[in-house]
Formats: sequence, structure tokens, C-alpha cells
Amino acid sequence: MLDMIIIDGLSFALPLFIMAIGGIYSEKSGITNLALEGFQGFGAFTGAIAVVWLSGIFGPSSQVPYYAGFVCAVIGGGIFALLHALLCIRFKADQVISGVVMNILAMALTSFLTKSINASLFGNTANKFMLGASTRITIPGLSEIPVIGAVFRDIYPFEIIIVVVALVMWYVLYRTVYGMRLRACGDNPHSADAAGINVYAVRTVAVFISGCLSGIAGLAFAYSVSANFSPDIYLGYGYLSIAALIFGNWSILPSLGACLIFGFARSGGAAIINQLGLPSGYNDLVRILPYVLTLLLLVFFSKHNHSPRALGQIYDKGQR
Amino acid sequence: MAEPIVELRHITKRFPGIVANDDVSLSINKGEIFAVLGENGAGKSTLVSMLFGMYEPDEGEIFIRGKRERIDSPRYATQLSIGMVHQEFRLVSNYTVTENIILGLEPKRKFLGLLPYVDIRKANNDITELSERYGLKINPEDVIENLNVASMQKVEILKMLYREAEILIFDEPTAVLTPQEIKALLLVLDGLRDYGKTIILITHKLNEIKAIADRCAIMNRGKLVSILDVKTTSTDEMARQMVGHEISFTTEKKPAKFGDVVLKVADMSVKSITGYEAVKGASFEIHSGEVFALAGVSGNGQNELADAIAGLMPCSGGSVILNGQDITRASVREHIEAGIAYIPEDRHNVGLVLDFTLRDNFPLRQYYSPAFSSKGVISESAFNEHGQKLLERYDIRSSQGGATITRSMSGGNQQKAIIAREVDMRTPLIIFMQPTRGLDAGAVMNIHRQIVAERDRGAAVLLISLDLDEIMDCADTIGVIYNGSINKIAPASELSVDDIGLYMMGVGKTA
Repeated sequence: MLDMIIIDGLSFALPLFIMAIGGIYSEKSGITNLALEGFQGFGAFTGAIAVVWLSGIFGPSSQVPYYAGFVCAVIGGGIFALLHALLCIRFKADQVISGVVMNILAMALTSFLTKSINASLFGNTANKFMLGASTRITIPGLSEIPVIGAVFRDIYPFEIIIVVVALVMWYVLYRTVYGMRLRACGDNPHSADAAGINVYAVRTVAVFISGCLSGIAGLAFAYSVSANFSPDIYLGYGYLSIAALIFGNWSILPSLGACLIFGFARSGGAAIINQLGLPSGYNDLVRILPYVLTLLLLVFFSKHNHSPRALGQIYDKGQR
Repeated sequence: MAEPIVELRHITKRFPGIVANDDVSLSINKGEIFAVLGENGAGKSTLVSMLFGMYEPDEGEIFIRGKRERIDSPRYATQLSIGMVHQEFRLVSNYTVTENIILGLEPKRKFLGLLPYVDIRKANNDITELSERYGLKINPEDVIENLNVASMQKVEILKMLYREAEILIFDEPTAVLTPQEIKALLLVLDGLRDYGKTIILITHKLNEIKAIADRCAIMNRGKLVSILDVKTTSTDEMARQMVGHEISFTTEKKPAKFGDVVLKVADMSVKSITGYEAVKGASFEIHSGEVFALAGVSGNGQNELADAIAGLMPCSGGSVILNGQDITRASVREHIEAGIAYIPEDRHNVGLVLDFTLRDNFPLRQYYSPAFSSKGVISESAFNEHGQKLLERYDIRSSQGGATITRSMSGGNQQKAIIAREVDMRTPLIIFMQPTRGLDAGAVMNIHRQIVAERDRGAAVLLISLDLDEIMDCADTIGVIYNGSINKIAPASELSVDDIGLYMMGVGKTA
């Protein structure tokens, strides 16, 4: 049972984590990002189209659609995020409102497009794209270690993608010139501007990255939660990852901790229900566990955490 | 020998409703300290902002090193090796000194010849070397939010020097410093001139100009009045030209007649919003007919002290007694009714509702009283009459009388409106927090006269200011606050500006 908790917990926590990193990029640059939910949904949508389309070409046993799907999810999520960047940066819209609008837009647009694409391209009336089950990888040797071995057992390939991407994103944010400038823009855009940094460009790229990373998360959820893409993808995981990055105090490593807590709370709860032999209806109860945890953690963490100083402020060059 | 490095020809800059610079022409030589002197609103900041590319002139031309330039951004100004220290520092608060200085010009290296990263170790060494060369001692690894104002200013100067700026612009650099820090800064400026840097210094403090500047341009209402050689011109002459007429710098006042104790603050402690103890066991008394001025460097607990006395923040210890009544734990309204008027530092966020009309702002503290409303319905006529009365009595200028939206008024008139509202309540205690910040000399004189008039009426006045001239001008008794404790209390006649400066730095801990 412990194995199941670890395996399911990780497959839930890691997509959450990569999306939280996306949120950190956006918010550390000074753009409030409530739109992660919409980004992941849209990314999952574009990824799923690619998977379905390429499966028809390469056949169901090929691995190409899977990886190409993730590439398309990254691109789709990123492009959709540019709309948020456009509204917040170019048109100086209120970032909270823009974020909410993005979420509603993603939900409506993807349900509509899913139906019409299914009808016109694949000739059926379903409101979902069937992805098929993902392969799972077990690393020989490492997976034999007692208890911890479960970490290396039945891994979704996307979990490996996420770990690699997360490492790269950590390095970029904390070690490179771009990362340093990005964090400066979120604290004091005026000083960044005075230092010759193009604040608008830095922020636009940051929001784009948050869309890309959310796209990975979206398709990952589509694979692991339901093995298809449907409007049911909007379960609030985007908001959960925002909660995670707030508990993580807008830093990558602590946010990983928060995501793992959420992941294991969910898989642990499911395992307990299972063990007690309760009816499956109680599974819905378990799904709220991460959110209850969110409420509790909010009480304790809100006081000590500090958001980036310029978060949510519209930056206008002309204004002094 | 005099080789012009900056030349402005017929510069005009207009903002909606105002001509900020009107046909200004001047030239600045390489290696001199050139001061620009003028009152607030004279157009000094606008003029140099154009040099730094923050605005572009509507008319006229700028020449740098003899070449005509269109400076359309601070970035381009930096390329022309022009640097500027703004009044409000532009620093990333959670970055170290080094990170702030190198931002935008980061030294890069490649990890394993492949992964690029910022070479912070080399940067730290560079900054240490740079700071030692110019006598700006600082630890490159300190985080900005832990530094005091003088150190932050050093970081700003180092930022310019790191970019190899040759033309250094300082916008009111001494406004936030203690007298000792000012002396140190002037020494640094002097040293920079010896290194061949050209320095443009904006200020309204005559003695600083006299101390270090070579030449001085005087501006008044957007126009260039004259360019003077500092050595051969007296400060009185500069002052006369700056204001356009003779002014006296001191407020006339009769000897104080102290009455009974009005405010007694005993062992008061206040926690700041972020939770640290901002005021630590402060004790003092103010009598009727006394101006008690509290001096101190910004951020030493003045805000919390004033807010706690006015009831906006809770005290974590000690007591506040007003006319024998303990108001330590009273609500804001109880404080008002007990008789405290408060002119807050932040006139936009605390003092006024900017989007209200002037006449709606006046009764903010009394609107619920029978004079202004009955059974919860506001009396418009009472609001109108009260507004008209205050406008006339306190000479507040506004475009549409009481119906003027407060946001549209000038800072000086906004402040007049707040003071009118508070003073007109005729309370036994009035707290003035930085009452003249950002106002021009005429308005300052006016407010100082009002402070003294309130004292003569028999009110107890608590004046909290960062401006030592203001404190010397108004105070009967001076207290100095340092790090949340009151370091020194003495009659104004017994303290010199230099003494106060030392106490402000925490020297001489005798109470």
C-alpha cells in the first residue's frame, strides 16, 4: 500500500510542481498569475490534439505521439499565456481580472473546439480526446530498494521530463543573468529599468514560460488522471499549484515540498478509503483533502511569507 | 580650459497646464560641480530628468561633448556615460549591494565552458575595489533592506561609477541625510571631482552649494534666473534670486508660556506592522503652549510613535495620558473626541480621500456629529458652509471652491486643507508629522507660522520632522529619537544642529 501512495503521490505532485515553477516565474517577474488553471487546460488541449492526430499516423504503439504531445502542450500553453501577457503588460489590464478571464476563456474555448474538431476531423461527437494509457517505466536496480524503491517504479515518462525541466528552470532562475533580471523586475521594476533592462520583455518571457510549464502539467494530468482530454481537466489543480508556490514562499525548492505534501495527502487519503473498504463515493471526499490542507496551511504560512514586492503592480515606464 | 561637456540650448518642456522649463540654456564644464538651485516646483528635477532621458524636451537641443544628442531613454543616457541618483532610490530590496550594482551589466562565466552563469565572486571583488577607490566604504554582500539610507545612497553612487559614468547627476542627495552624513557625502563629491567627474547637483540648500559647488544655476518657476560663480556670490544673494524677493528664514515667535501637562507618554512601546519593536519605552511630556519637536533619521520609529498616540496603532506597552485621561487603549474615534488632531505624513493615503471633493474631506472626523448629520443622513448645507468657512479662513486655493476634487489640487493646497481641518477643531493636542515635506519655501513659512500660532493659542504641539531647519525654527523643546528610543530631551536653546545630528546617529546615550 505504501508503494501505491508513493507512486500515485509523485505522479500527482510532479505536474503540480512544474506548474508551480511556472507560477513562480511569472510572479517573481511581477505578474500575478491566477491563470495557471487555464494555461494547463489549454496546453493539455493542444497536446491532446497532437497525440490523437499523430496516433493515427504512427499507429497506437509508437512513442512518438506521446513526446510530440508534450512538445505541443508546451507550445500551446505558452502561446495561450502570451494572451495574458498581452493584456497585463501591453494593455496594462488588472492582472487578477485578466487571470480569471483567461481561465474562463480556456474552459469555454477548449470545450467548444474539442467538440467541433472531433466532429470535423475525426467524425465523432465526443467531447473528449482519447489519449490511451501511458506506458510506465520501472528502473531496474533502484526500484528494488525497500520502501524508497517505489519512487523508481511505474514511473510515467512525463515525470522524468518534469524533473529534468525543473532542474533547468531552477538553474535559469537562480544562476543566470536572465533569472537575476527577472527577480529584479518583480521587486523593483524601476531599478531594473534604470539598469537598462527591458522590463516588458523580461515579464513577457516569464509569463510565456509559465504557460509552457503549465502545458506540461496539463497533459500530464490528462494522462494520469483520466487518460483522455475533456473539459473535466479543469479540476482546480492550477489553483492548487498557486497555493503550493505561496507556501513555498515563491521559491522553487520549498514549493516542491508543498507539492509533495499535496500529492501524498491525496494518494494517502485514497489508500485509506481503499483499506477501509468504503464505497467509491468516498473517493470524492478524498479529492478535497489537498484543498482542506490548503486552508490549514494558509492559516500558518500567510504571516511569514512575503510576495515579490512589485507583484501585481502595473509597470508604467512614464510614471515616476 | 573650460571645456563644455553638457550644453542645453533653449530647452522648453510643458506638462498639462504648466510650463516646467521655459527656454533654458546653459552649459556645464567638464570636471566642475555645477549646482542647480531653486524652490520646489521651479523645474530643476524636470531639467535634469531630460538629461537622463526620462523626458524629452518639447523644444530645444541637448549637446553632450559637443555632439547633438536625442536622449530618449535612461539606457541611452547611460551609454553617453551619464548617471543619476534619484531622490527615491531605485534598488532591489532583497538583493545584495553587489547584485544591485551589476544588474544589467553582469559579469558572466561559463560553467564547464557550457552553462552560462553570473560570476558573483568576481563581481564582489570588483565592487570592493571600486568602493575603496572612491572612499565609499560598503560591504558588497549586505542585503539592501538591512542598510540605512546613507549606505543605500552609496550603492546608487557606486552603480553609476560601475557603469563608468562621467557626468553624475544628484537629485536632492542630502534631503534624507543627517548633518554628519551630509559632510561625508560632500567629501565624496569633492573626491569625485578630483577624479575628473562632472557633477550636477540639484538642491535647495544654500550652504551645501557654498561648500562645494563651482557654479550655480538659479531657477524660478521654470525659468533660468542666472548662473552665478559660487565663490564670489553670497548665500543671501542666491536666496534672494531663488525666491525672487527677500525672505527671512526664521519664524517670528514670542517666548513660550508653558501651561499644564497636556500629553504624557510613559514608557511607550509600539510594534511595527512587520512585528519588530519600532518604539522602545519612549517617555516624554508636552505642556500646553509648548512645541515639542521630535528629530530623528527617517525610520527610527517616528511613524509608529505618532500613529500610536493618534490611536491608529496599538501600544504594546506603556501608557498615553491626555489631560489626565488614559487613552492608551481607546479607539480612533475616542482619540479624536478626547482632543487629538493629527496631520499625518502620508497626506494622500492617510490624510485625505483624494477622490472626494474638498468639502467632503473637511468633516471626515466630525461628519457623524449633530452639526453635520441627523439620524444618519448627512446635511449637505452644513458641509457646504463648513467648507466655505475653512476655504476662506485658511486661504486654500482651489479651482472650483468646495466642489474641487482633492486629487486635482497642488500638494501645497492639499496640505493646507488637512491642516485647516485639523487645526480648526481647536483640540488641546496637535500632532504635525512632516508637515512641510515637498512644499515650497512660501508654504513652509506659512505652516511654521501656523504651528507657532497654535502654540500661542495654548495647544500642545508635537512636531515630528526629518528637517532640522524646521525643528530649529519651531521648537521650544527638542527630543531626538534613535532606534525607537528617545535619546535626548532638552530645551531648544541648549542644542545646536550638530548636537542633534550626533544624537540622531545614536551617539551620546544620555537621556
